[in-house]
Amino acid sequence: MAGCTLTGALSVACFIPGAVTVVHAPRGCAHQTFSMLHAMMNDANTNITPEIMVSGLSDKDVIFGGERCLRQALDRAAEKNPDLIIVVTSCVPETIGDDCRAVCQEHAYAKHILYIPTSGFLGGSAKDGENAALIGLADLADPAEPIPGTVAIIGEKNLESEVEENFSEVTRLLDLLGLTVTVRFCRNTDIPTLKKLGTASCFILRDERSYDAGCELGKKFNRPIIPEFPRGLSGALTFLRETGEACGISSEKIESAVSEETAYQEDMLSKFSNLKGSSVFLGAELVKGTFAVAREAIKRIGMTESPGSAEVRLPFYLPVGISGTMKMLYLWRRKILHG
Amino acid sequence: MRQIAFYGKGGIGKSTTSANLSAAFSEMNLDVMQIGCDPKHDSTRMLMHGRWIPTVLEQMYEHKELKTEDIIYHGFGNIRCVEAGGPEPGIGCAGRGIIATFQLLEKMDALFGDVVIYDVLGDVVCGGFAMPMRDGYAQEVYLVTSGELMSLYAANNICKAIARISERSSAKCRLGGVICNAKNMENERELVEEFAKRIGSRLVCYIPRSNAVRAAEVNCMTVIEHNPESEQAEVYRNCAKIILDNTDLRIPTPLALEELEELARNYL
Repeated sequence: MAGCTLTGALSVACFIPGAVTVVHAPRGCAHQTFSMLHAMMNDANTNITPEIMVSGLSDKDVIFGGERCLRQALDRAAEKNPDLIIVVTSCVPETIGDDCRAVCQEHAYAKHILYIPTSGFLGGSAKDGENAALIGLADLADPAEPIPGTVAIIGEKNLESEVEENFSEVTRLLDLLGLTVTVRFCRNTDIPTLKKLGTASCFILRDERSYDAGCELGKKFNRPIIPEFPRGLSGALTFLRETGEACGISSEKIESAVSEETAYQEDMLSKFSNLKGSSVFLGAELVKGTFAVAREAIKRIGMTESPGSAEVRLPFYLPVGISGTMKMLYLWRRKILHG
Repeated sequence: MRQIAFYGKGGIGKSTTSANLSAAFSEMNLDVMQIGCDPKHDSTRMLMHGRWIPTVLEQMYEHKELKTEDIIYHGFGNIRCVEAGGPEPGIGCAGRGIIATFQLLEKMDALFGDVVIYDVLGDVVCGGFAMPMRDGYAQEVYLVTSGELMSLYAANNICKAIARISERSSAKCRLGGVICNAKNMENERELVEEFAKRIGSRLVCYIPRSNAVRAAEVNCMTVIEHNPESEQAEVYRNCAKIILDNTDLRIPTPLALEELEELARNYL
């Protein structure tokens, strides 16, 4: 996902039911950013209509200051009586020096306003915007004692088409360890649930994209972090061991989960036994790490790699566990057997 | 049409100098326009007999259809007076305000006459305040300074802007010279003269400190109008004549900060 911090921040903020997001920016910034999000949401079959409002900074506001404009946008947002108003900013208010934090703090609805200083391109990229939003939203959560057996997922990619499949794969693995996801931070999770972030005993990050926020949150709540969802087959076993250890699960239970998963993987891979002995040529690696996942699958099935063979595509996502690997293998099988 | 910009540190006397020079030009039967480019919007006040005229930026956002009479006001000697205006201190972007003002004046085809004077704040060296030097507006810039170090520092900064803008092939802006608006410091004339020489220019006018200026200001007039027979009025008239005859326009070479400080020390 490209764009400025606004795109990243909105990709998080739009997935919080009960929240209204105020974009303090010219209309064009909000329109451009939301158009991109809307297109990606459609692509991912996501049917939500996020509450977004724009302050609509004009040339006049650039010259005389945009604080009045933000105040009016907050008034309009507050009229909807939302659980939370999230304020994100473009480059313009940062350039002209609007004191957005003070405007938010002074507003009658201040207790329900969360200011996230994204600052458009001045704040960096979409990735920085995602991290800023996650860190900002973590301020909603109070310190709490960890509840054993619970984990939180941090920084799911709300706009990727496999987001729910990946989540299901992770929860299936966590089940083997007897762990439950209590907070998806932040995907379709209401504000009372987001506030319980601190009760999770371990934070599992989607991937390195949310690493900055993950580190910050881990430090803030003194929780261990798992840096990413499991990569392919052996990644799932590593994930079980690391997560189990981080959550204080007994080594016997962890090894039992690993054995169960190994057997499950063998069972699933047996569906592709008709590919045994086939030779393939791997296409370009669009996402770093997919080569390794693909090569492991090739080896486990008993396939080979050679330059003159049928070219198979590597996915545009990093396959998560056996589920993501099988999705890749289905595509390969069609290519190998049917051209 | 001569388009002349006066730049200098805030409070150095740019507006007093500009207004008196505009008045002197009008005495020569020239059609004069003065544009104040400072959010303080007091450049033309003495020409308008103390009246704070509505600023372009105020009017721009209060009227849907702006007419020239909404922003151009006739003052002493039929001088057309304009104030760009700007935001309250501590908010917004005054530089963008200057750009918006120029865009509007251009759209209205309001920039005409024998002499157009731009009175510009010189402390802020952002692109907005450099607008009068760009796009073929002011083709000659005069630095208004006293012998105080910070005033020379601001003048030197403006030299940097002129030098930078002059690098562009389409740029027509050049330095016309330095005007010393004296604070009655010892060796002040010599210091400013030497500064002008070092930046590759010359002192075109020395304006001594005079009570005539104070007396005119408290009566909300220029010296030319309030006390036309005074020596000070003659100083402004001479300065106006020198500027009008000046064809020696140059690209300045700004000083390094150390050199500027050393220069100031030498004339203590």
